[in-house]
Amino acid sequence: MNSDVPVNSDFLRYLSKEKVISDEIINNSRSMISIINREYIYEKVNVTFCKAHNSVIGSIVGKSLSDVWGEAVFRDTIKKNVDLCFTGKSIRYEASFDTPHLGKRYFEVVFKPLSIDDEKITHLIVETFDINDLKKSKQAIIEKEEEFRKFETNLPIGFLRCDTSGNILHANKALLKILNCSDELSLTKKNIKSFYPADGLFEMQFSQLIDFNTKSFGLVILKNCSGTEIPCRISGFLELDESGAPSFIDFAFEDSSRELMLENRLLQAQKLETIGALAGGIAHDFNNILATISGYSEMLIEDLPKSSDLSDKVNKIQGAVLKARSITNQILTFSRQVEQEKINVSVSEVLKETIGFVKSAVPQNIIVKNRIHGCNANVFADPTQLFRVFLNLMTNAIQAMEDTGGTMSVTLDVVEGKKVQHDLNKDIVADEYVLITFRDTGKGMEQSQMRRVFEPFFTTREVGKGTGLGLSVVHGIVSEMEGEILVSSSLNVGSEFRVYLPVSKVYPDYSGNLKKRKKILFIKGNKYESRVFSLALESSGYDLVYASDQSQLIKMLSDQNQRPDLIIFMSESVKIKPEELLGIFKSQNLKTPCILITDPQQELLEEKLLNSGFIMQHLFKPVSLKDIKNAIEISLK
Amino acid sequence: MMPGVLIVEDEKELREMLKTSLLRRKMNVFEAANGKDAIVHFKPSITDLVITDIIMPEEDGLKVIMKLRELKPEIKIIAISGGGKAGPGSYLKLAKALGADAVFSKPFSISDLISKIEELVNIHNN
Repeated sequence: MNSDVPVNSDFLRYLSKEKVISDEIINNSRSMISIINREYIYEKVNVTFCKAHNSVIGSIVGKSLSDVWGEAVFRDTIKKNVDLCFTGKSIRYEASFDTPHLGKRYFEVVFKPLSIDDEKITHLIVETFDINDLKKSKQAIIEKEEEFRKFETNLPIGFLRCDTSGNILHANKALLKILNCSDELSLTKKNIKSFYPADGLFEMQFSQLIDFNTKSFGLVILKNCSGTEIPCRISGFLELDESGAPSFIDFAFEDSSRELMLENRLLQAQKLETIGALAGGIAHDFNNILATISGYSEMLIEDLPKSSDLSDKVNKIQGAVLKARSITNQILTFSRQVEQEKINVSVSEVLKETIGFVKSAVPQNIIVKNRIHGCNANVFADPTQLFRVFLNLMTNAIQAMEDTGGTMSVTLDVVEGKKVQHDLNKDIVADEYVLITFRDTGKGMEQSQMRRVFEPFFTTREVGKGTGLGLSVVHGIVSEMEGEILVSSSLNVGSEFRVYLPVSKVYPDYSGNLKKRKKILFIKGNKYESRVFSLALESSGYDLVYASDQSQLIKMLSDQNQRPDLIIFMSESVKIKPEELLGIFKSQNLKTPCILITDPQQELLEEKLLNSGFIMQHLFKPVSLKDIKNAIEISLK
Repeated sequence: MMPGVLIVEDEKELREMLKTSLLRRKMNVFEAANGKDAIVHFKPSITDLVITDIIMPEEDGLKVIMKLRELKPEIKIIAISGGGKAGPGSYLKLAKALGADAVFSKPFSISDLISKIEELVNIHNN
């Protein structure tokens, strides 16, 4: 102190008191405070600093920053900030440091340039705050928020917050998906009311929320961004501000389409089951009555002289009985009361035959496309019934496009059982299923029609065109095979039928190999339908030979080695007429049993053949594998 | 010797039709309107063949087949049914498994049925 300056002892006392106070403040600060010079040497430190380093002021002052914090920390974290600060900038940064007393903790470090003579920066004041707890709680908040975000994002429930007029403020991912919106931003420009169906529904829900604060509104059919109707279960919660006035409305939307779809499907299945039981009962009673009518008319024919014109009338009664029988049989097939003789059969084979059959009669304005190759799956089925299913679905598809023309596409795929279980929500009976899809671009159906399409006698065609039994029979056959058939359709766009059948893992059973296989001569009718029969009979263990014209037939029957054990003749064989067949039988003095298969609608065109005594069995279409096998068994006895 | 045939059928018209047609073939015909009557009134000594419906009130046809086979093992049985399923198999298949010699689905051809009866009874008489 300069002695020339007069010193007031009060002032000195005052100064020393001030210094004690400011030292107290500095030393008791919870921050580490220090002053460093351009050589990175500590010139002053406070008590907190020393405590953190388990040291005293005297042993830190004079040490360099790298002595105190370690060479690496100094080089990587501290030095650049110090250098920057010496250029005149205040610096603030966060870093974790290891201190001997506190261990590794997060600190906020503030460097302030210090220029004693107002010109040159000679020192820095460093203040280091312990922000470890703050940092930790911040981290915890971030983690919690992230956890909540994940929960909110991944849950398949749409969350939405809007203001009290319905303007969307926030929506989660699930809601974007439900409403088919690309991003949250585009959604937040909208009002939730635009997705609501009727005017006033949102306002009604809002007023209910004011009364009840939180409420479930049940099912509301929303219209999403692409205009599709989405049934949603909606719950709402009203957020209030501090004054108790409504500030936001939070909504939860649960997409119920699948639930509703499955519910509907279950209801329809139950309905079909009920109708089936009812119709099956009626068909059963009608079969009793038909048996009586048929029995008496057969007796009448016996009693009437051959020449009587009355026998013609009785024949007509018989014809009517056959038609009625075909209907009761279809109803029983629908109600799954007709037993099917099942064998292992290749779906693609039967599908190929059916497509071939349909193509031969398809109008020119209709294109038939198919993708069925490369799928060798077998199913356990009666191939004739399978043919019936495919034929029915394809005929329907073609009829739906009759006026407009269009494309029918048939595809065959193998799908995993697990997927079927999920998609259909039903118990599975196989590891794999075949999925056969029939799609048309025809007139389609309304929802109300679609729901009833498998009911017997339900038809979308004019009265008198078709019995309306086709699809119910298809449903019965598919269900009997433990498969499933689904329909989707939209008006004027087209329909799609999907048939799922369990893949059979059992390999074909050639029980016929052990005994001598019986040789059957098959005089084929329509080539595709007959090929399904051939397929069925061959897999059942019979040896099949074919005759497609007269000369071939004569050659076979006259050669002792080629003679068949049985002949099956399908009435509409093009190349051989019934009269010709009769002539050949007579000339060969045929002893071989013969089975005739005809259409009941043909009104016994083959009467001559039937009365000739060569025919042992007469079957009417549709003939199942069981019918034909029974007939063969009886004939070969 | 005229064969004796028991017709077990709850549907009166059908039963009468069967009776009429069998009488024309000079067969002895007995009737029962349900399974219970058929079992109670069964006369083994004069019955060669039974035609039985399957679904009937008061003991069904399957019971009839089992019981009559027990009472007269060599009896010939033809089961007739208008459809209907029990579990995975049809009633007719079940009837066959229980020992019916032949099965016919209604409506059947009466001449087929009669040929079958004659065939079964002839074999039996031989």
